[in-house]
Amino acid sequence: MTCEELRDEYGTYALGIAEDPERGEIAEHLARNCSDCVLGVRKAMAMVTAMSGMETSVEPPRDLRGRVIGMVERGRVEQRAKRSFMGFVLPWAACAALAAALLVVVIPSRRPSPDTAKLAQALAILNDPDAKQVTFGETARPSRGKVFVSGAKGVLFIGASLPALAPGKKFEMWVIPAKGNPVPAGTFGREADATAVYLRPGPVQGDAAAMAVTVEPEGGSPQPTTTPFLVMKL
Amino acid sequence: MILTGLLLALEMSGQDDHRVVDQSLVRGLQRKDPAAMAGLYDRFGRIAYSVILSIVRDGAVAEDLVQETFLRAWNRAHTFDAERAAIGPWLLAIARNRAIDHVRSASARMGKNAFELDAHEHPSLFVDMERDVFNSDHARLIRKAIAKLSENQRQVIHLAYYEGLSQSEMADRMGQPLGTVKSWVRGALKLLREEIGEAMAV
Repeated sequence: MTCEELRDEYGTYALGIAEDPERGEIAEHLARNCSDCVLGVRKAMAMVTAMSGMETSVEPPRDLRGRVIGMVERGRVEQRAKRSFMGFVLPWAACAALAAALLVVVIPSRRPSPDTAKLAQALAILNDPDAKQVTFGETARPSRGKVFVSGAKGVLFIGASLPALAPGKKFEMWVIPAKGNPVPAGTFGREADATAVYLRPGPVQGDAAAMAVTVEPEGGSPQPTTTPFLVMKL
Repeated sequence: MILTGLLLALEMSGQDDHRVVDQSLVRGLQRKDPAAMAGLYDRFGRIAYSVILSIVRDGAVAEDLVQETFLRAWNRAHTFDAERAAIGPWLLAIARNRAIDHVRSASARMGKNAFELDAHEHPSLFVDMERDVFNSDHARLIRKAIAKLSENQRQVIHLAYYEGLSQSEMADRMGQPLGTVKSWVRGALKLLREEIGEAMAV
């Protein structure tokens, strides 16, 4: 059959309800990378994806997340057990050496890399529907970037063209409440290319009305000692 | 550093936030990093659970199928093109297929109308697809479009999406000629495409 004849069936194919001969014909066109059919079915697949919005979404049970992640973490544990068993059949000295090696090599490898752990925390902030975000530096200021503030999950700051830091100095983030003094929210440095990504996971203290960044001594200050070079009103 | 690269890329290039985040998740899955699985669940767990539950109508079964869905994505992530393919729509296709598979087995409809659901999960079908087709604005659009369908059109879309009935099965179920059912299905899909196509680039 020609692509023209199959066009009306892309939708049923994407829904999984097309019947032969059209179903088989479309599958064949896709298998040989027929550009018209690939594009047509792809558009139909996007529509089927959009149909997931026909019903209101429902919160899954809280423990499901742990079970999903547990499946792949368990896989790693099983691998480790398998390696330990291999060690068991070796002479005891070699076994002890292997066990020591496993402690050093395998156990740390089970943990997610710091980058991906950070990524998961950053995602939690980005995905929090209540998170506020402010873009700065859109006009005259040289520094530009964005800050995301989730009351429950933490603060994520992304900046570029940040000012140079003198030796012994750091940037310090501040939560500015509607009333009261600024609350310190951690210090961070700058990459060689004048950028910084600063993530502070955990609940944000106080009702943040704005965020600010100052330059402070390396250990941080209990209250700002310089004028903020960035103030981001939430 | 992944995070710096990821977040600066999304921020400074002005690109869609989700695209860069999703690419990073796919790469994490390909490296078999459990943190990427956590990220994938945080991003799509709710919608995957909702889609599956809307089809199987049983919480315990839906939970099992969500686990199956994510494990399948984990095991098949290596086939995925992180740069071009959209992980969210792919994951949802896997989720819906698992659920339809379940209701078909439960109603012993795995015979002549069964087809290879796997073919619908081929990553090439999700290349260059808009990643965010299931956001709340689009959900409103689709509901508005569904409301414009005739009663018969709405019923066939329901039977197709939630029960995975073939058009012959719908004809039997509704006691209508196959030709009539096919014209309802075709008309409904055409209207949905017209109503939501432009907004979603589908």
